[in-house]
Amino acid sequence: MSRTNRRVYAGVAAGAALTLALTGCGVGGDGGADSGGSGTDGKIAGKITFQTWNLKGGYEKYFDGLIDAFEKKHPGTTVTWVDQPAEGYQDKLSADAAGGNLPDVVDMGPEAAYTLAGAGMLLNVAEDDPEAEEGYLPTAWDAMTFDGIDGGTYGYPWYLNTGPSFFNTDLFEKCGLDPEKLPETYGELFDQAAVMSENCGDEGISMIGRMPTIETFGMYGAELMNGDGTEFTFNDAEGVELVERYQALYEDSGLTEESLNALQTGELDSFKSGQLGWLPGSSYTLSDLKKTAPDVAKTVAMGPLIANTAPNMYLESLVVNSESENTATAKAFARFATDPKNQLAFAKEASVFPSTAGTLDDPYFTEDDGTDEGRLRTEAAAQVGEAVVWWPPAFSGGPDVENLREQIAGALLGKKTAKEALDDAVDYSNDRLAKQ
Amino acid sequence: MSGTVTASRRGMRREGRTRPARHPHWTRGSWYVPWLFLGVALAVVSTFVLFPFFNTLLLSFTDATLLRGGQFVGVDNFRELWGDARFRTALLNSTLYVVCVVPVMVVLPLVLAALVAGKGRLLGFFRTSYYLPVIMSPVIVGLVWTNLLDRRGLVNSVLGWVSAVGEPVPFLTDRWLLLFSAMFVTIWMGMGYYMVIYLAALANIDPTLYDSADVDGAGTVRKFLHVTMPGVRNTMGLIGLFSSIAAFRVFGEVYVLTDGTGGTGGDNLTMTMLIQREGTGLQARTGYAGAISLVMFAIMAVLLVLQLVAQNRQRRNG
Repeated sequence: MSRTNRRVYAGVAAGAALTLALTGCGVGGDGGADSGGSGTDGKIAGKITFQTWNLKGGYEKYFDGLIDAFEKKHPGTTVTWVDQPAEGYQDKLSADAAGGNLPDVVDMGPEAAYTLAGAGMLLNVAEDDPEAEEGYLPTAWDAMTFDGIDGGTYGYPWYLNTGPSFFNTDLFEKCGLDPEKLPETYGELFDQAAVMSENCGDEGISMIGRMPTIETFGMYGAELMNGDGTEFTFNDAEGVELVERYQALYEDSGLTEESLNALQTGELDSFKSGQLGWLPGSSYTLSDLKKTAPDVAKTVAMGPLIANTAPNMYLESLVVNSESENTATAKAFARFATDPKNQLAFAKEASVFPSTAGTLDDPYFTEDDGTDEGRLRTEAAAQVGEAVVWWPPAFSGGPDVENLREQIAGALLGKKTAKEALDDAVDYSNDRLAKQ
Repeated sequence: MSGTVTASRRGMRREGRTRPARHPHWTRGSWYVPWLFLGVALAVVSTFVLFPFFNTLLLSFTDATLLRGGQFVGVDNFRELWGDARFRTALLNSTLYVVCVVPVMVVLPLVLAALVAGKGRLLGFFRTSYYLPVIMSPVIVGLVWTNLLDRRGLVNSVLGWVSAVGEPVPFLTDRWLLLFSAMFVTIWMGMGYYMVIYLAALANIDPTLYDSADVDGAGTVRKFLHVTMPGVRNTMGLIGLFSSIAAFRVFGEVYVLTDGTGGTGGDNLTMTMLIQREGTGLQARTGYAGAISLVMFAIMAVLLVLQLVAQNRQRRNG
C-alpha cells in the first residue's frame, strides 16, 4: 500500500470514527441510587430549585407570589424558579437525570416520574410523608402510586385536566348528520363517522382525526395492565374490537390517509381548519379555538367525552429529588404548592383542575356563570369526579406511543390483523418495560 | 537506494550546520511546542470524537439505558437488531437514499456548474439562486415542502387545476412517494453546495483542451463527456463520498416531512431516526442505540473503502 493510500485510508478511518461518534449515543450513566432523603435533617431551610414545564408565559405573577408566600412562611428558605420550554422537556429531564442534576422539585407527569422513580431518583412521598395521601383525590394519588416499582407514591399530585368532546356542527349539517343528536358512545361515533365520510369523504372531511391512543383503549374498556403493573394487556377482546372498528371505518374511507399518522397537534389543526367533525378536548380547547379558529369556534357544540368506561384525565405532579441537599425544604415546597389553597388559585389562573380533596366543591367549579367557558368549566369539573388517569405510568410517551400508532396503522393498511397488531404492540412495550 | 537516501540525509545534516545557531531556549524547549499547536485540536477530537466512539462501542455490547449503566450482554443487541422489523425498514430506506440520491448528487451539480461557470451577471444570479437552499435551515425547508406537498398544498392544487390528477397525490402519506419527496428535497438543498465544489474544479481544467475539442468538431455534449467529466473525475469521487455519507445519515428532511413520526406505520424511518428514537428520552436504550450506530458505522466504512478502492483503480487504469 502506498504512503498516499495509507493516508487516504487513515483519513477514511478517522472520518468513519467521526461518523460513528456523531451517530453515537451519550454516556450510559448509572444513575441508580437508593431512594431516601439524603441530606435531610428535617429542617426546612436553605436553597432549592423548582422546575416547571412551560409555565413562564403568563403565570409569573402566580409563581412569584407562591414562592414569596413560601419563603415568608419558612424564613431562611430560598426557592429558585426555573421554567423550561415545552419543546424538548423530556430531553432536558433526561440530560438532568443522566447528569445527576435533577432540580429539587420538578413538574412532570406520571410517566416521566415512573422512569425516574425506577432509577431511585425520586422521593417516595407515601413513605416519607404518609399523612399527605388524605389531602388528595384518590384517583390522583393512585396515578402517582406505581405498582410496577414497589407500590410507592413518587410525587405530589398537582393539577388535572380533562375536557368535553367538541363537534363541528356545520360539518354535521353539511354531511347529513343531525347536530342535535351528537354521538355519546363509541358505537354512535363510528356510525356517524361512516355517514360523514360517505357524504363528505371526497372533500377530505372525516369525523375522527387520528389513531386511538392508550387512553382510548382505557376508555373503550380494554384492560391496560395486569394487576401488579408489570405487564401490558391491552390486546384483549375489547382492545381488538376497538382496532377492528377503526379498520372497518378505514375500509369504508371513513378515515383519511393523514389520520393514520397524525399526532394530537395534527388532529387539532384538522379540526381548526374545518375538516374534522370530532375533537376530544381539554379545559382550554375552547379558548384556544376562539383565539386561533374563531369561525370554527362559532360552530362548535360540546358534549361529554366519549367513553364506555370512565372518561380520561391527565395529571401533572410535583416530584422531589431523592438526592436533594434540602429534602425537607423541597418536600415542604412541593406540598405547599399542591395544597388546596394554592391549587385552587392556580386552577383559576390556568383553566385546570385541582387534585386536592374537596377543592372541586368550590363554587368556581360548581356554579355555571352562563358563559361557554363557565359551562365548560363546571361540566369538566364534574367529569373529574368520575375520570381516571388512563395512561399507565409505565407506558412511555416516546417509543411505546409511536409503536402503538404504527402497529394500528399497519392493521388498517392490511399488513396484519387487529389482534396481531395489538399482540406486537404489547410484546414491544412489555419487552421495553422488562429492560428498563 | 538506501545509500542514496542516507547520503541525502547526511547532506541535509551538513546543510543544517551552515544555518545560524538556534536560540538555546528554543532548542531546549522545542519538545512541547508541537503539542501546544496540537493540544486544542487533540482535546476537541478526544472529547467529541474518540471518547464518544469508544463509549458507543462499549455501550453496544451492554443493555445500558439512560439511567442505568447496564451489563455486558455480548452480541445480544445485534441479534435483536436482526429480528427488528424497524431496523430492516430503516436500513432499506437509508440504503435506497444512497442508491437514488448519490448518482444525482454527483452528476446534476456538475451539469449546473458547467452551465453557470464563467463571468456575467446573469450567471452570477443563477449561481446564487442555486446556492440559496444550502444556507437555509433543513427544518425550514422541510416545513416549506410539507406545506407545498400537503394534500391541500400548492403542488396538489396546481396538479388539480391543470387536471393532471383527479385525486390529490399522497406525497406525504404514501410510503414511496414520501421517501422520493424527501430525496427530492435533499437534492434540492444539497446541489448548490456540490455545484460550488465543481466550479472550483472546472476552473482547473486546461482551457486548451476545449479548444482542441472544438478543432476536432466536438459538440457541447461530447466536450462535457470527454473533457469536463474526465477533468473533474477526482472531484466526482470526492462528492460521491461526501454525498454517500450525507445520504446514509439522512434525518432532517424525513423527520420534518413525517412530522417526526417516521411515516405511516413507521415505514419511512431511517437509520438516524431509529437511533434518535432508541437513544433519546428518559427510557432511552443507549446500549441498543449504540449497536445500531455501530452497524451504521460498519456499513458506511465498507461503503467508503469500496468507493476509494474503485477510485484508485480507476486512477491507475486511467
